[in-house]
Amino acid sequence: MRIVIVLIFCLGLIGSVNGQCMGFAKDVGKEALGSYLHDGNYNATILEEGEKAELYKTFFSEQKYRVAISKVDELPDIHFRVLDRNGNVLFDNVKYDYQLVWDFEVASTQMLIIELNVLEHNKESEELVAGCVSVMFGIEPDKKKRKK
Amino acid sequence: MKRELTKATICLFAISVICFTSCNSGQKKQKSEEQEIVESVNVDGKLVDDFKKSKLIFYSLPSPLETAMLIKRAGATYNEDLLNPLSNIDKYSTNRQKALNLGVYSADLSYTSLFDQTQSSIRYMANAKKLADGLGIIDAIDENTMRKLEENIDNRDVMLDIISETFMSSNAYLTENDRPAIAVMVLVGGWVEGLYLATRLTNGSVENNKRLIDRIVYQKLSLYTVINLLEEYKSNEDVNYILTKVGELNEIFEQVEINNTSKVEAETDAETRVTTIKAESEAVISPVVFDKLMKKVEEIRTEFIS
Repeated sequence: MRIVIVLIFCLGLIGSVNGQCMGFAKDVGKEALGSYLHDGNYNATILEEGEKAELYKTFFSEQKYRVAISKVDELPDIHFRVLDRNGNVLFDNVKYDYQLVWDFEVASTQMLIIELNVLEHNKESEELVAGCVSVMFGIEPDKKKRKK
Repeated sequence: MKRELTKATICLFAISVICFTSCNSGQKKQKSEEQEIVESVNVDGKLVDDFKKSKLIFYSLPSPLETAMLIKRAGATYNEDLLNPLSNIDKYSTNRQKALNLGVYSADLSYTSLFDQTQSSIRYMANAKKLADGLGIIDAIDENTMRKLEENIDNRDVMLDIISETFMSSNAYLTENDRPAIAVMVLVGGWVEGLYLATRLTNGSVENNKRLIDRIVYQKLSLYTVINLLEEYKSNEDVNYILTKVGELNEIFEQVEINNTSKVEAETDAETRVTTIKAESEAVISPVVFDKLMKKVEEIRTEFIS
């Protein structure tokens, strides 16, 4: 019975728990792309310690992409991997000190999977941390900077 | 964007984040009262396991800006006649029409900007603003945006940045205000317009511009994303209708063959932080199938903008 009450209660609140990461994505996520042009897509949500997310995206050949994952400082490191459609791991940030900004080029157009796993601080702790995580894609701009 | 969660897991997730609603960044929480309620209930262990294992799934379509860049970099030219006429805006009264054409005009806006057609860009941004306002999207495109765009007509990079930001703001506003079906329709409208521009710019030949044909053929991969996005919200009548149309497009794309002819391998340069993914791939489309594809795209796009 109590679980039912909880379900109704939380369904009513789902709307209010959203709407939090737009500012974070604009101010922090986009900034992490540096000189790369943000593609304009919005990929951000609240993730909690231990939570996983996957993002499917087609990477086109002859374009250089920057993948910039941003998280609030309070969250632990994020384990970030890039896999092909068959699950082969093509990049793993564990090997690079959990770097969250990395550039990718593909020799031929491929659909790739960006896999995120928010690590856990301390399993004994009674505290849980959650916060905004954004995944931004940037495209290397043309060399020409200004219209002549 | 698709979040693959059961209602129960969504609820558990919602409870777990309720106490964070007051701020924009990360927060550390004590186990809240709500959580204690959940934990004190004799919940099915499998449900808890599912919650821990649940994954959020996102699908990212090529944005109007990325598609316009692909078209330009493939060596295509500018053709204003292909754009959705500005005067069509008066036809759009339903949410479906407004959402689809916000995507369509965003794609046209990206195309005009990439080709330095600044006056057209300003006019298309004005139309995008009207549709965004009509959908109740607050502050995504405001007077300040229009002014910034006009002040930077000589700086393409800044213009593209403004366009990118307005597209993200519209999408984020809809997604975060419980209107994901509308957000998906905007994305799909933009994707279809990009595909329309690309197919028309080939002048109907698979031989004229092979790089552009290549870009079109590989949209088969993006179509997977489009269908998954639409599937998630197909309980919405408008989305379900669009899914039907996209399904017709899928039937044609199924006749396009894309095969990796070698193993997918990666080479990472830790110094420059670049990973190059190497795989040989082959994509084949016959002139007959391309003709069918072109006609179907035109049919769907005509319906969207009418």
